[in-house]
Formats: sequence, structure tokens, C-alpha cells
Amino acid sequence: MIDPITLDFVREKIQDIGTAEQVRSNRIRITTTPGRIRDVIRSVQELLSCDRLLTISAADNGKTLELIYHLTGSHRMVVSIALELPRDAPQVPTTSDILPPAGIYERQIHDLFGILFQGRSDLKKIILNEDWPENEYPLRKDWAPDPGTFYGGIKGERV
Amino acid sequence: MIDSLLILVYIFLFPGFLFLITYALILEFLDRRIAARMQHRVGPPFYQPLADFVKMLGKEVIDPDGVDLPVFDAAPLIALAAVMTAYLYIPIFGSSPLAFQGDLVLVLYLFTLPTLALFLLGWLSRNIFSALGGIRAVTQMFIYEVPFFLALLAPALMAGTWSISEIMVWQQKNMWFVFLQPIGFVIALIGLQAKLERTPFDIPEAETEIVAGPWTELTGRRLAVMHLTSDVLLVAGSALIAAIFLGGPTISVPVTPIWLSWFVGFFLFLAKTLFVVLILSSIKVATGRIRIDQLNTIGWKYIATASLLQVAMVIVINYLWVSS
Amino acid sequence: MPEVIVPIGPHHPALKEPVNFKVIADGEKIIRLDLDLSYNHRGIEKAAEQRDFIRVLPLIERVCGICSHSHTTVFAKGIEELMQLEIPLRAQYIRTIIAELERIHSHLLWLGVAAHEIGFNTLFMWTWSDREAVQDTLEEMSGNRVHYGMNEVGGVRRDLTPEQVNAALVRLPVLEERVKKYVDMVNNQKTLLVRFKGIGKLSKEEALKYGAVGPTARASGVDYDVRRDDPYLVYADVPWNVVTDTNGDVYGRTRVRIGELMESIGIVRYCLENLPEGPIRVNAPKTAPKGEILSRYEAPRGELVHFIRTNGTDKVERVDIRTPTLANWTSVAMCLVNQNLADIPVIVAAIDPCLSCTSRITVINSDNKKEGLINFDVLRKRFRTRYQSPERP
Repeated sequence: MIDPITLDFVREKIQDIGTAEQVRSNRIRITTTPGRIRDVIRSVQELLSCDRLLTISAADNGKTLELIYHLTGSHRMVVSIALELPRDAPQVPTTSDILPPAGIYERQIHDLFGILFQGRSDLKKIILNEDWPENEYPLRKDWAPDPGTFYGGIKGERV
Repeated sequence: MIDSLLILVYIFLFPGFLFLITYALILEFLDRRIAARMQHRVGPPFYQPLADFVKMLGKEVIDPDGVDLPVFDAAPLIALAAVMTAYLYIPIFGSSPLAFQGDLVLVLYLFTLPTLALFLLGWLSRNIFSALGGIRAVTQMFIYEVPFFLALLAPALMAGTWSISEIMVWQQKNMWFVFLQPIGFVIALIGLQAKLERTPFDIPEAETEIVAGPWTELTGRRLAVMHLTSDVLLVAGSALIAAIFLGGPTISVPVTPIWLSWFVGFFLFLAKTLFVVLILSSIKVATGRIRIDQLNTIGWKYIATASLLQVAMVIVINYLWVSS
Repeated sequence: MPEVIVPIGPHHPALKEPVNFKVIADGEKIIRLDLDLSYNHRGIEKAAEQRDFIRVLPLIERVCGICSHSHTTVFAKGIEELMQLEIPLRAQYIRTIIAELERIHSHLLWLGVAAHEIGFNTLFMWTWSDREAVQDTLEEMSGNRVHYGMNEVGGVRRDLTPEQVNAALVRLPVLEERVKKYVDMVNNQKTLLVRFKGIGKLSKEEALKYGAVGPTARASGVDYDVRRDDPYLVYADVPWNVVTDTNGDVYGRTRVRIGELMESIGIVRYCLENLPEGPIRVNAPKTAPKGEILSRYEAPRGELVHFIRTNGTDKVERVDIRTPTLANWTSVAMCLVNQNLADIPVIVAAIDPCLSCTSRITVINSDNKKEGLINFDVLRKRFRTRYQSPERP
């Protein structure tokens, strides 16, 4: 276990590609843009020695879609990398090649929010059933189940 | 006339098929009860196997699509017929009236038919799980069959005869083979456990891996018949081992008059088969299932060499005995 | 044999919950794996956005049956931290006791299931009968065997009476004896060793790279336990150890879980003996201030992460649940390649999958196993007398 990293250390390492703030005694939040996410992840992995991805959270704050990557390492600090995406065309480069666990979270977020992760070919459904209709992203704030649409499963009378 | 009437009674009533089926169901109950008590459970009541059999006979028979139905119906019946016939040659309360030179070979051959029937059912079921199970059943048979045959050959060599009843008589005059050939006894027990497809050798019907293997598509009366075949094989197999290694329905002191020897012999038969079933149940409870490739390694490396060693020892002893 | 697709799931006797593994196999060797997790999705995260803090906790609890207390605790402590609420010490001790009891019963369940997957039904029957002692304790304390409903934002809802504490303390030594016997069995029983050793091996680098968590990661030597690294409740005050192992295969995971069983029994005993007096709850405000928090917890299966965002109302704006099983799926898919078909149940069972946690969809559970004709009352009587509970007949 190495010493906990400090806010100044983080600011120094990622000064060109994002801004950092300390939100809790063991969590530092970095804000960046979708284009630079791969560089930030690489710097966090190498320079800040974060070797585990905790999760990728996604949220809809009414105006934009937000993605937050949480990483941690043997220094026991959590580094959260936040970025915002426009609602009409949310696209972000994939990080599943540099961070293998991201693959499963990206598929899940794509199913539920419709965020497109560019650079990977196998973005098929994982958490929604296979015959869920296209372009219906349940966890967005402006989505409500439409009684006229068929959401997959077995139609009609149950045998 | 009386002779043929007695033979018919022997075959169909006692100790033939009626007694066989009753005893098979009782032994299944005892096996399940012993296993349950060892596992800290209560276990089924004594009428459970009979209730299961009657219930299964009455259940709906589901015919999978495109399956060859006549063969599907015939295979369980052939398996049951084979083991019931094999049982007739094994001494129950004295020498079997149907005994002849070579009936040991016939019995061993008939014992292989249930496994072949399972393979056939697995292959015909048009179901990936059944096919895999059928292949595993035959693979397992290749592995344990050679040591099992050799372990049962060694007593025949020492007794100088190919008839089970005469082997039993030889033991009455000399000593039980379990003391003369302990390695053979252990291998015969392992072989029987594998033939009955019980843990640790229940690879073909591994529930958590391939649903039920070749038994998957059996329903209704086919399942009832196949299940009864397993039970009858348990009786016949333990009777065979009791006859060849434990002296069968005889003890070293000959009992006169004939009817008393039959009476005592019958109780000895019950006691000895129960003893074998107790050992088999303990093995079933105390172990987990092994994989088919692990069985392959263990079977050829250890069990086959041990059985060859046993046969070699018998040949050497025979030569020394004869030449002395 | 040519390539064959063996469907493991969604209905399969090896799986306790529906999941579809399409295993592409060549004979008995696995080539690759396609995963479909959608069968248990219930839309809990969306439903949680429409319920206030009192009503959302029962919903969050029902994400999973076996780790129900984990989900409510991590959510409640996240909200309490956002509201800057300090809950009384007695409530924290009670939360810890229930959490560790949950861990004990989950690990005992897992041990039985793993034994059942290799056909060793004796160990399955024994561990599940010992688990009844823990379930009796939990039922006395909370009224239910799973879904305890102990938590609320601001503390716990029920107190522990001295009789309950004593009854639990009486059961613990018996359980400890039984667990020691299982330690012995796991280390020495031949068929167990032959089926568990060398199966599903994950090296330390692979475990880190593919993001394994919980006992799966600790069995590969990754020294990571949220109870020590990001302490919550009373874990900083209670003496306990993190259990790791270097084997990395299913045998290593078994040893880690059994080690954790012994540690958990120690923690429960310490907490029961040192339970402080005091109130069990404080009044929580109706709304939470605007903010976001990442709340972490060591559930029996691994690290559970709730990302909660509030916006000043009495409902959450977003709760994002990342369950330990979801984090472990990638490593399962990796370590299944080139293994035997017969080992799939063992390897999948070794990460202790909880598919209800993984997908958060409900389904009508069609995967019920057959059950025996055991008279329930007779069985209960035997176990009560065996574990010497003084207050039951």
C-alpha cells in the first residue's frame, strides 16, 4: 500500500487535460471532456497508479448526460473522472481496450442510456432483452413506458 | 412335469422375478435411508420406491419430435430383461438350478446391456445433453469394464471353474475369496459402483452439468422401467459379489437336511447382499463426483494395474499349488 | 468433435437464477462464452427515482435476497453522509451484527452450493443444516430469514433485546465447531480437492486487470477489502483480519470464504458482547441537499458500489448500483476458456453469482429445484433441540 495521493499531486499530473477537486477525504473528482477521456484514463492509470476500475456511472441531469469513471489503486484513494455529453448525439471513445472491465459497464450503459461508445464492434444488448425495441433508452429522464409499444417477450394470451 | 413346474416357480415367483422386484424396491429404500441418515436427514418411508414406481408408470409419456419411437420404447425393456435374466444364474439360497459352465461370462455380458441401452437412448434423443451423457456412459464403461472383469476372473481361475454356483461351492470347502483376494474384492466393488452409475461415478447423469444425461428424455413408463433396471442391477450386482467373494448363501459348515440349508442360505444371502449395499451406500455418501478425464487417469493407472496384479498373483499361486 | 453450442441456461439445474451462457465447446473443452444477463432485470434504478427516502429502502432491499442488508446499508449510509447525519453508536453496532450474520449465512450457502455442483451432496446437506442456526438468529432479531428491513435513513428500526443477544451468543460456539470441521474437510477430502484444485485459475495480474472483486480477487492474492480500506460502521474498532490466499483457483476461493466465516463469527461475537447502550435512531430530515456520493460496502460477494446523486428533493435523482457479481463476470468469462465443460458449474459457482443483483429486472422465477418430502415441523424441532435455544420448546 502506498501513500495516499494529494490533490496537488493530481492537479500537477493532469493539468492540461482536466480540472480536479477534492470532494471527500478519500475521493478526488476530475472533470474533463469526451475527447480527452482516453488520455485522462491512461494518465490516471500510469501516473496516479490507479489499477482498478470500480464502476462507470451514468446519470441524466435533465440537460446533458453525464458519465463518471471511478478508479482506485493501492493508495486507497478513489479518482472519479466526470464528463458531460449532449443528449441528442452522445458519443464517447471506448476505453475497454485499455481498461478491460469497462467492457461490461459500457454495454450496460449503452442499453439503458443510449450512449454510443465508439471504437468497439460488439455493443449488443446485455441487460435488456434481445427483442427490446431500438432507440428506447429507459433510464433517460424523458422516457416513460408507452402502452402502444411492444417491449419484447411473449405477446397475447399466456398458454 | 413337477420339475418344469418347480422351474417356473423358481423363475417367476421365488426367488425369481416377483421376489426380485420386491427385494429391489426394498434395497432401494434401504440405500436411500442409509444415505439420508448419514447426511443428517430423515429419509423416505419404506413404501417410497414402490410409490415412485407406480406413480411413474401412470405419468404422461412425452415423445420428443422425430425420435425413433419403437427403439425408444424397446431399449429400457431390453435393459430390464437383461438384468432380470442375469439374476437367475446367481445362487440365492443354494446353487442355481439354471447353472452351467460359463454362466459367469453370460452374467457379466448381460450386465453390460443396461449401459448400452443408455447410450442408445442418449444418442437417439436428439438432445445435446443426452448425447453427451450417452458418450460419457460408454466412455466410463470402457474404463471400468476391464478391471471389473479381471477382478471377477481371478476367483474363477483359482476355483478352476466358470460357473458361479461352483465357485460358491469351492468357497464353502476352502475359504472365502474376500480373504484370499482382497484386492479383487475392492476392485469388484469399485467396478459395481461404476456400473450402477452412483457417486463418485455418476458422471453420465451429472445433474448439475448435463441436466440428466441420457435419462433426460425418458418419461412415464420408460423412466419407470429404466429406474427399476437400476434397482434390479443393484440386487443382481451385490448378489454376484456376495456369491463370488463372500461365499454366497453358504457357510463353511455344511448344513443337512437340504430344506434347512436352503432356509439358512436364504438368510445368509440377505445378510451378505445387505452388507455389500451398505458399503456401496457409504461410498456414495462420502464422495463427490469426479470428471471423466480424471476417471480415465485413475482407472487406467491404478485400478487396471491393480486388477492385473491380482490376476498375476492368482496365476502364480495356482502354479505353486499345483506343482507342490 | 466439431464445435457445438451447449446452452447453459436460462433454465438449467446448475444455475439458481436464469442467465444465458452460450458456451461454444469443442468436445469437452470450452472455446468461448457469450453472455446474456437480461432475465432478471426489474427496472429498480428507475423505480427508485420516484420514491422518497422511506419508501425507497424496501425497494433497494429487494435487489437481492441474500445480500439485501448490504444494499440498504450502503444506500442509507450514503444518504446519511449527504445529509451530514451522524447515527448513534448502538445503531452502527446493530447494523454490523446483521451484516456479518448475513455474510455467514451467505458463505455457508455458497459452500453447500459449490459442493452440490460437484455432486458431493453430503457437504451440501450438512452446511445448509448449520446455516439454519444463523437463520434462526436472524429471524429472532428481525422477523425474517432474508430481507430483514432493519435499516432506515437515520439508524435502525428495531432494537436487540438481551434475550436475543444471549440466544445468539449460545449458538455461536456450536457453529464455530462445525466450521472448523469444514476447514478440515476442504483441506483433506480427496474428491473435493480433485475437483477444486487448478480449476478456473486467475493470476494476480489477471484479477487486477479484469476487475475481480471480493473473495474471487482475494483468492488470487489481491489484498483489497472495503471494510479495511474505506472503513464504515464499526469495522475500524473491531479486531479482525482480511483473509487472502495465493492459490487463485476455486480451491483458493473456498479457503478464503471459510476463513471469512471464522472472522465473521469473531466479529459478531465481539459486537454482541460489546453492544453499547443508547438510542437506535435519529430523526432524519425529509430532503437531502444537492450532491453526489460514491458509497462502498463489502457485501458477501465482493465490493458493492452505489453512486447516489440527490438534488435537494426528498427523492434521489439517480442511484447507480454496481454489484460485485457484475464486476466478476468478465473474470469468469476469461477463466472459463480452455476449461472442461464439466467445470462450468463449479467455476460459475465459485464467484458466488447473484444474478438478481446483477441485472436488476424481476422475472417469474422458473428455476425451482425438486424438493423432498420432509416434514418441516419435525425438522425444525430437531434443529432447535440441537442448537439448544433455551426459549423454544
